[in-house]
Amino acid sequence: MTTGFSRLAAAAARAPVVLVASRRGNVELWANLVILTWAGVFLLWQGPGFALTVGTVFAIWAILAVSLNLVVGFTGLLSIAHIGFFGIGAYAMAILTSGTSYEELRTDAIPTFGWPFFAALPVSAVAAGLVAIAVGVVLNRFRDDIFVLVTFGFAIISYSVFLNWAELTRGAFGIHDIARPAVGDLVLDSDAEFLAFAVLCLALVSLVSWLVVSSSFGRVLLAIREDEQAAEVFGYRVARYKLVVWVISAMMAGLAGGLFSSWARFVDPYSFALLESILLVSIVIIGGLATIWGSLLGVMTFVLLEEGMRFVPFLPNESIGQARQAVLGVLLVLLMLFRPQGLVGRYRL
Amino acid sequence: MSAAARPGSAVETIAISKSFGGVTAVRDLSLSIPRGGVTSIVGPNGSGKSTLINLLSGTLSLDGGIVVIGGRGLTVVKAHDNPSRSITRTFQEIRLFDQMSALDNILVVLTERRVARALVERGRGARGERAREILERVGLWEKRRALAMDLSYGQRKLLEIGRALAMDVDTYLLDEPFAGLFPAMVEQVKAILARMRDEGRTVVFVSHNMDIVRELTDHLIVLDSGELLAHGDADDVLGRPEVIGAYLGF
Amino acid sequence: MPLPDQFTSRGDRQRTMGIMLAALLAAYVFWKVLQSPDQALQFTYNGLSVGAVYALLAMGFTVVYSTVWFFDLSYGVAAAMGAYGVFYLRSQEAVGGQYEVNNPVVNVVLGAVVAGVVAWSLHAWLYGRLRGRFGRPTLLLAGGVLAAGAGLYTVLVLAFPGEIHVLLSPVVCAVTALLAAWALRRLQRALRPRARLAPFVAAAAPVCGVAGLLCALLLAGAEGSRLYLSWVVSCLMAGAVGLALYRGLYIYMRERAHSHLVMLVASLGVLLAATAAITLVFESAPRPLPEAFGSEPWSIGGANIKGFNVFAVGVAAAGFVFLRLLLGATAFGKAARAVSDDEEVAKVVGINTTVVIAAIFFIGAVFAALAGLLSGHDTAVQPRMGLLLLVKGWIASVVGGMGSLYGAVVGGFALGLVEQFGIWDLAGEWRDLVSFVVLIVFLSFWPTGLVPRR
Repeated sequence: MTTGFSRLAAAAARAPVVLVASRRGNVELWANLVILTWAGVFLLWQGPGFALTVGTVFAIWAILAVSLNLVVGFTGLLSIAHIGFFGIGAYAMAILTSGTSYEELRTDAIPTFGWPFFAALPVSAVAAGLVAIAVGVVLNRFRDDIFVLVTFGFAIISYSVFLNWAELTRGAFGIHDIARPAVGDLVLDSDAEFLAFAVLCLALVSLVSWLVVSSSFGRVLLAIREDEQAAEVFGYRVARYKLVVWVISAMMAGLAGGLFSSWARFVDPYSFALLESILLVSIVIIGGLATIWGSLLGVMTFVLLEEGMRFVPFLPNESIGQARQAVLGVLLVLLMLFRPQGLVGRYRL
Repeated sequence: MSAAARPGSAVETIAISKSFGGVTAVRDLSLSIPRGGVTSIVGPNGSGKSTLINLLSGTLSLDGGIVVIGGRGLTVVKAHDNPSRSITRTFQEIRLFDQMSALDNILVVLTERRVARALVERGRGARGERAREILERVGLWEKRRALAMDLSYGQRKLLEIGRALAMDVDTYLLDEPFAGLFPAMVEQVKAILARMRDEGRTVVFVSHNMDIVRELTDHLIVLDSGELLAHGDADDVLGRPEVIGAYLGF
Repeated sequence: MPLPDQFTSRGDRQRTMGIMLAALLAAYVFWKVLQSPDQALQFTYNGLSVGAVYALLAMGFTVVYSTVWFFDLSYGVAAAMGAYGVFYLRSQEAVGGQYEVNNPVVNVVLGAVVAGVVAWSLHAWLYGRLRGRFGRPTLLLAGGVLAAGAGLYTVLVLAFPGEIHVLLSPVVCAVTALLAAWALRRLQRALRPRARLAPFVAAAAPVCGVAGLLCALLLAGAEGSRLYLSWVVSCLMAGAVGLALYRGLYIYMRERAHSHLVMLVASLGVLLAATAAITLVFESAPRPLPEAFGSEPWSIGGANIKGFNVFAVGVAAAGFVFLRLLLGATAFGKAARAVSDDEEVAKVVGINTTVVIAAIFFIGAVFAALAGLLSGHDTAVQPRMGLLLLVKGWIASVVGGMGSLYGAVVGGFALGLVEQFGIWDLAGEWRDLVSFVVLIVFLSFWPTGLVPRR
């Protein structure tokens, strides 16, 4: 890597090292320290069981966050629509792998195929990518505020489709009996095995993201983020670049969706509501824009907040999700006020 | 000076016009910018100088008329085709890629334009050398790691000129390259422009500073209210009464 | 921020396509109407009812947007607050008090917000004028006492919503008396411009006092007024929160923000936190509001419409007239337009921009709250409603033309009607989808909106 890449990409790659040798101010150092220590304490205190319970959630959300950061942080497109691609991946996995025998017993049967996991996973990603092409072509017409509004629209549309296209998704009742990853007789059925697989996927997605942002393509993305028109003047077909990164990011989200429905073995529309998408964007912004490490840190905060809140007195367990959302909202406001690049970000909104 | 000019025209416009919601910025403008040498565009505020540059570089769309670049007539100038027409520009209000380093600001215009190849193009290689050469030429090599937004105004101006230089094209459209610079920096920019001319490139710049215009220009274009007031050899044009009138008027 | 020319001039081809699309749509609707005029009328009524809510939202949204030029997504909070405020104050009546809520924390927080807003308002409007006559300590003390009193009073009202009509009667007394005094003064000025004031005061004061007292007594005896009082209270609460958000948060953020996306994201954070807070207090399930008047459907021309919905349309119309007069015919409106055109210049010519913008935020939030409570009465209240209403108001204001008040009204009703006619052949659940397809088509072919801002 000595040939050198853009400062941003290099920093992203060196992220763990930044922890020790940060010249970028104390906030970054402290954010890293606090969150990693927090994670460490929980791991030591609650043992590996802790990693098993939250690890998979972390990995899936981290894939989502890393992929969304490609669009929001590196390209400057504030998209709320990401949860839609996650949902498409999840539903593709559900419909393709859900057992056919179970369906035949139901009166409200939907077409399912009983495919194995590894056949369906690429389809999850590709399905999300294909939809992303169509959506991206429409979105390329809009910028700034209006872009945000239209992505809001796509998030609501996708939720509405998941909920109401009952012939395909069985609406609010959801789809059961989704396959776990299996190669021959080896089924990754236990929590530990699935966690390992999810982390592997996360590593892969992070690697691909890093390859994208540290290439010349990635540098052009930054230029597009900074000044679209100027990038165009210097010979870049901005619309194509935006579309390509959009599709790459959507495919990653589709992959996360496939993992998610396989892990939960059940999928319903409520996991893909607009509010979830807003939450996801907040996590990405809180963690830090335009760094892969920032996204990981953001999701870590998100997961640890939930675990930490179990120990808050007078807070009933069923309210934890809401309390966490409130904390994230407040954190987002504070960051926008004092640190618009997020905790460890490289891009100030 | 006009010996530097090669025959033919680098850019030509035929009856181009542009208006912004009822206000006409450029009206039926036909002019020709000779190949090679320095051409400057002058005129009072609001005479359509920047609009002309924006139209030639595809930053604004034409309302009507034809732009001829490299022998081909265009009714729609697409900004992303600028490099293939061997033309580039700077902006009046500096438009750098603010949250990128000075080095990246140069590197970004040196890289692959095709998406699929850009995705696999890594490292700097020869482009790194070229970027270094450019940054040294505008005197910003020391500042290569600083974000463009953290540079001083003059440095930003120079970096933008450097970014245009890096494009290595035949025709440069520079929108007010001298505005707001210290005398020392003015000299620096003048030297850069002179060197570009000596390399046989076509330099078109907009300026309000008549001394600089007089000093550098081979060919002068005077605009007033979006129309061509005069054009031709610099000394000749500046002596004409209608030009003097337009300037005294503002 | 205006878009660069390259991206806004979409050419004649697209305009033509847009017009053709609109013509096709019109033909479809016409055909549908010919098929069953009764149903068409029903859809029109439904569309107008929903449209009234959207129009109110869009008006408030537009007023705020055209003053500060960023999309304030926390606007949805005000809408949800309007609806939940009514639920909070009337929860013992809704569904037999099954979901009664009264949370001391909420009461204190809202009381503190009101105290803060009152303190700031007194400081902004009166402090400068009175400083010469009274000393600084006296004024601060008086202001503090007034603000604290207002806060305590709010807490009291929120803590005993069953007695809201009794608790609020002194306020109504004071407001009536002041209004009467103001009206009499105007009358006196109109009749005898140069007359001395003292005899007038001697004559008018008792009249006003009696009028106020009478109203207060009437109110205290009328238990049926509790619902309407709770509307007023929750609108004012939402307004206070809107103002507090601007003065307490956005004002600092706007000084620092280097893009308006920062504001958008921050307001998204506010929305996120507030939605969570509402869910924590009220739970996430939808709740009905108590019956308002006019829940019986009337049959007009073969289709049904509820009296309440007619009222909603009336509120939207009244809101429009109010805003039109306020922004078009008063000094405040002039100041607001100046701020909208150029805040810095407005500041230089001596307009207190902070006060103007804060008032605009107050008005915007009140409009949102009105829309929220109308929609809550029409269907039900749920924590997500703020987000959904926000998005609808946003769409309506974009469809109507960003920053244009007429556009907001037209856009709101148009969106309501299109939504209803759009689901003629589909199930009702697809309504959100229809409205977004409308938005996207609209933005693509007609980006300036129906009634562009001049």
